[in-house]
Amino acid sequence: MAYDRKQGGHEVAQSSRPDYRLEVGRAEVPVGAPRGFVVLDTARAATLKAWTSALIPAAGRRPDAGAVGAAEYIDATVHLVPSIRPALFHGIDELERLAHAAAGRAFAECGLDERESVLRQLQALDSDAFSMVSDFTYEAYYGHPTVLAAIEAETGWRGDGPITGSSMTPFDVAQLERVRKLPPRYRAITTTPEVKR
Amino acid sequence: MNPEADADVLVIGSGAAGAAICNRLSRRGARVVCLEQGDWVDRARLPKAHPDWEVRGRRFWAANPNVRRWPADYPVSSEGQDPIDVYMYNAVGGSQIGFAGNYWRMAPSDFKVRTLDGVGADWPLDYDELSPYYTINEAEVGVAGLAGDPCGPPREPLPNPPAPIGRPGQLLVSAYEKLGWYWWPTEQAITTQAYRGRPACDNRGWCTFGCPQKSLSTADLTYWPGALENGVELRTQARVREIVLGPDGRAVGARYYDPGGIVREARAAVTVVACGGLGTPRLLLMSTSPTHPDGLANSSGLVGKNLMVHVQSFATGLFEEAVDGWNGTWGGTVSTRQFYETDQARDYVRGFIMSGCRGWSPLNLALQIAPWGSKHHQAFDERINHEISLYLCGEDLPEESNRVELDWGHLDGFGMPGVVTHHELNENSRRLGRDMIAHAHQVLEAAGAASVRDFGLAPIWGWHLLGTARMGEDPSTSVADRFNRAHDVPNLFIADGSSMPTSAGVNPSATIQALALRCADHIWESRRDYDSGRSSQIR
Repeated sequence: MAYDRKQGGHEVAQSSRPDYRLEVGRAEVPVGAPRGFVVLDTARAATLKAWTSALIPAAGRRPDAGAVGAAEYIDATVHLVPSIRPALFHGIDELERLAHAAAGRAFAECGLDERESVLRQLQALDSDAFSMVSDFTYEAYYGHPTVLAAIEAETGWRGDGPITGSSMTPFDVAQLERVRKLPPRYRAITTTPEVKR
Repeated sequence: MNPEADADVLVIGSGAAGAAICNRLSRRGARVVCLEQGDWVDRARLPKAHPDWEVRGRRFWAANPNVRRWPADYPVSSEGQDPIDVYMYNAVGGSQIGFAGNYWRMAPSDFKVRTLDGVGADWPLDYDELSPYYTINEAEVGVAGLAGDPCGPPREPLPNPPAPIGRPGQLLVSAYEKLGWYWWPTEQAITTQAYRGRPACDNRGWCTFGCPQKSLSTADLTYWPGALENGVELRTQARVREIVLGPDGRAVGARYYDPGGIVREARAAVTVVACGGLGTPRLLLMSTSPTHPDGLANSSGLVGKNLMVHVQSFATGLFEEAVDGWNGTWGGTVSTRQFYETDQARDYVRGFIMSGCRGWSPLNLALQIAPWGSKHHQAFDERINHEISLYLCGEDLPEESNRVELDWGHLDGFGMPGVVTHHELNENSRRLGRDMIAHAHQVLEAAGAASVRDFGLAPIWGWHLLGTARMGEDPSTSVADRFNRAHDVPNLFIADGSSMPTSAGVNPSATIQALALRCADHIWESRRDYDSGRSSQIR
């Protein structure tokens, strides 16, 4: 959307490049709607759920991303956009391979530190799949009413403000007293241009 | 092919300019047909009608057509050293349906850039000629703001009071007062009180994600209801393929694909192209013929050239106190034109505005600054509701090498070409941009920010796509004349942001719509010129 900037820069979305961001534009997946897995098998679903929970873990009143359905949201997205399924499958399978190599067990059975370590390896190996899952996880998390309510309780940021609106104090024109007395700050256009300040 | 009933005026494009022209001409009594490649936006699908509005804004409502891919969208590729991230909508209301409502008049000096500063181009009209149309447009749109701004000539009172500025605005006011700088409440195309059947803004913010309240003055809400009442025939899902010329070299109308993909022809005494800074040159360049092999109205070779987008950035300050950054119109605090006019003491010409915004929304903020993993929430909590942003917009001078061309390698759903843009900031723009960002840091620090981060100058935000069929007195250096009439085709008008010879340093919507109204009045007042020998005559 209009102001997105991710850490590490931002690429222009090009019509000519295969890019998950281009592929998902027409995939409307309401956040928070009840849903199960329709594309991923049980094992891969468990891995993805653990993956999303490691990306955004629980803290305070805020649940982890897996608990608010981020994996199911990703599954629903690839259901609508088959072209990005291979990247997701590859990422999940690679994550399992790395987890077994590093810890000798499934990713979902690893501890928090082990998960982060394995995810950093995956991020280096397959940044595209990693970015895709990361972006979708952030979407599922920060679009979820439970998370927005927790943020409001803990930070004062009103998540329902854009939906319900609010009242505000009108602008006080008396504040302009000094500025109104300033001389004109534009260049008047005459035959011989001169700066009028 | 079925040539259809004649109209007096055929308008191609229903956005900010096209809507204003349709309304103005139909009010005078002209018979107007408008062809719009998109459709009405279903307001129930506006992102902000839903709790997950930020997510919908990244998919269905994505401002980049390559992401959104609505049926009327065409592919846009971006090349050059500073590629443009194009933001535009193809729908009734055009790209205004996704705008923030910042609504500025240009300054008198903006019309005489070449004369005053030796760069760019002069406009073939001046501020005083456009000023009455700014006033008319401000009433039609319901602009919120205050007259008396010392950065411009005296003017009529605005129809609505400024938006509440909230805590972010107060902090910025304190900064400007401390620095002794000029500031003023930002003018916005938002009804801050009930106005002409639309309700008062209720401060939901995040205006670019659609306004279910209908307080954001988009062209589908301002000009179109009246235009339809006046009898304008708006044909949606009409994808125009080419402008058609008669044997005398005058435009007779346009060929387009109807919703069923059947080619049709609409005929009129006058044709107006208002498809935006990319869409207008695209259509003109597609309209080739034996007499116009390089595209219509292109004897100067400048159709598609001089693409301008503004030098833009954001600077964001981090404050210890909570700033209620969720509350209020996103762009509706206060702005400064302290550095708007050329100052010989600086190492660049022209200038910029700094316009106060509020905070970043949760998803956007998280994507910007919150790393994944165990430190995620700490990074997020440090900034959510504690940041204020300044939108920075400076003048991007015209360069022929900055351009839009047809892209036959990427076609739309009707076999018509996409476009490719080429853009590079020139040295003046880079210097201006660096200075603009430095001054934004200064403001936010004066407001009490503990730290300031900025977005730099890359990539280039393509919100304002301007200059690609510019006006001018000389047919060898411009595409259209001082009334937006194509030099090469006497009954063809080009009336949108593409006609702007320079970009100024402000958001362009107000100027685009004022120019469109002026163009409409010229068409009406000179209608006799278009009657002679035509099958269709303006009554």
